[in-house]
Amino acid sequence: MTGDSSPALAVDVEGLVRAFGARKALDGVSLRLPAGAFLSIFGPNGAGKTTLLRVLTTLTNPSKGSVKVAGLDVVADAVELREKIGLISHNPLLYPDLSAEENLLFFSEMYGVEEPATRVRELLAAVELDHRRFDLVRTFSRGMLQRLSIARALLHRPEVLFLDEPYSGLDPHAADILDSLVAQVREQHTFVMVSHDLAKGLELCTHALILAKGRVVFFEPRENVDETAFAALYRSTVGLGVA
Amino acid sequence: MPDAAAAARRVSSWRQFKAILRKDIVMELRTKEMLTSMSLYALLTLVVYQIALSQSGSGFDIRLIAAGLVWLAFVFTSMLGLNRSLVHEKDQGCLEALLLSPVDRPVIFFAKSIGNLIFLLIVEIITVPIFAVAFMSGRPIAGPFWMIVLSGLVGSIGIAGVGTFLATMAVNARGGSFILSVLFIPLMYPALLAAVAGTSAAVLGGPGYVDMFWRSVGMGAGIDAIMLLAVYGLYEFIVSA
Repeated sequence: MTGDSSPALAVDVEGLVRAFGARKALDGVSLRLPAGAFLSIFGPNGAGKTTLLRVLTTLTNPSKGSVKVAGLDVVADAVELREKIGLISHNPLLYPDLSAEENLLFFSEMYGVEEPATRVRELLAAVELDHRRFDLVRTFSRGMLQRLSIARALLHRPEVLFLDEPYSGLDPHAADILDSLVAQVREQHTFVMVSHDLAKGLELCTHALILAKGRVVFFEPRENVDETAFAALYRSTVGLGVA
Repeated sequence: MPDAAAAARRVSSWRQFKAILRKDIVMELRTKEMLTSMSLYALLTLVVYQIALSQSGSGFDIRLIAAGLVWLAFVFTSMLGLNRSLVHEKDQGCLEALLLSPVDRPVIFFAKSIGNLIFLLIVEIITVPIFAVAFMSGRPIAGPFWMIVLSGLVGSIGIAGVGTFLATMAVNARGGSFILSVLFIPLMYPALLAAVAGTSAAVLGGPGYVDMFWRSVGMGAGIDAIMLLAVYGLYEFIVSA
């Protein structure tokens, strides 16, 4: 297993095991990601990608091993860590019966965002939803939901952003907005993205990882990735054989 | 790396508690999902009582079983409502969003429990006068009204706390909708017994009814405290399992 050994690590995982009964969703995962990096995680369905993301975002406790994000332990320092991370999921994570503004103001309260009204306005403008700020979220299209979800994730200016299939179901306009927002905040954040889209994932990443059956089968900085060999390895893990 | 603390400061649990409670009240007032379904269910239960007691004759003193009937209606009504209380958190992953925020899990539990308690009390305030008019006209309660209120509050706190805990388990578990129905009554049994005894003492009166009332309410409050402390300790485990 390789990776950058810079002392400023955004993600530091050692021997992570997450078991559900007898089944190990993650089986001895280790990885070290420097601050400011962009990690793309690939793998077939059931490889453990979502479980890994849930452990890194404190939503699920590890069964064994040490997991630190932004220098904080995901179990012992969970509350403090949650101030430093954001998640953009294919699920919008928004209340349908609150308006766009009410949703963002609610999460501003939860994170203790300074000057919440100003920050909410700024983000609604950034995701081009300022004109719909008083509308209930349940009236939003998929693309609008995802844009608002991006605003929610960036609200408290997290250090590490987790993206779980963020482009899934997005129309081209929403995908462009996501690209543009990622580009805007790229320099100040560490990104961890789970994706099935090889081209997109490799385009954005500084590090690439393939997970299969709960184990890391590939983890290298982007410059060491040969795209053809990487694609072949990925295809073999999803059961398609080597192309 | 940017300093997250520059944009966000450590927020107090009290502020987070108020935010969750306010959000739940705003959403309920907007949808009226829980209040409508719980009130209707409570009224339908009273209709069933009416049918069940229709042949009991004028000599039957309804006060003997009034407390049990009222609490039966509250228990089934709250099971219906509490099951719904966490479901909207599950819609579109809202519970995950809440769990991702820097909030101690017990704060979520207490905010949701207080919200559920408020909704349950509103339904009780609607139901009790209707019950009194429909079944107890000409048969006044023996004790002062505050005794009914106090025993109602003690029983409702237990229902809201344990119900919220079980509803959280239910939304996190596969086939979880049965959890509340199956575990609620066994867990609530001692607290319900105390609540019925307290309410019954207030309704029936008789020698030593004040002592009986305080003994029951005290026992109910003690059971509430024990259960809420246990649930407080287990909540983190339930939402992170």
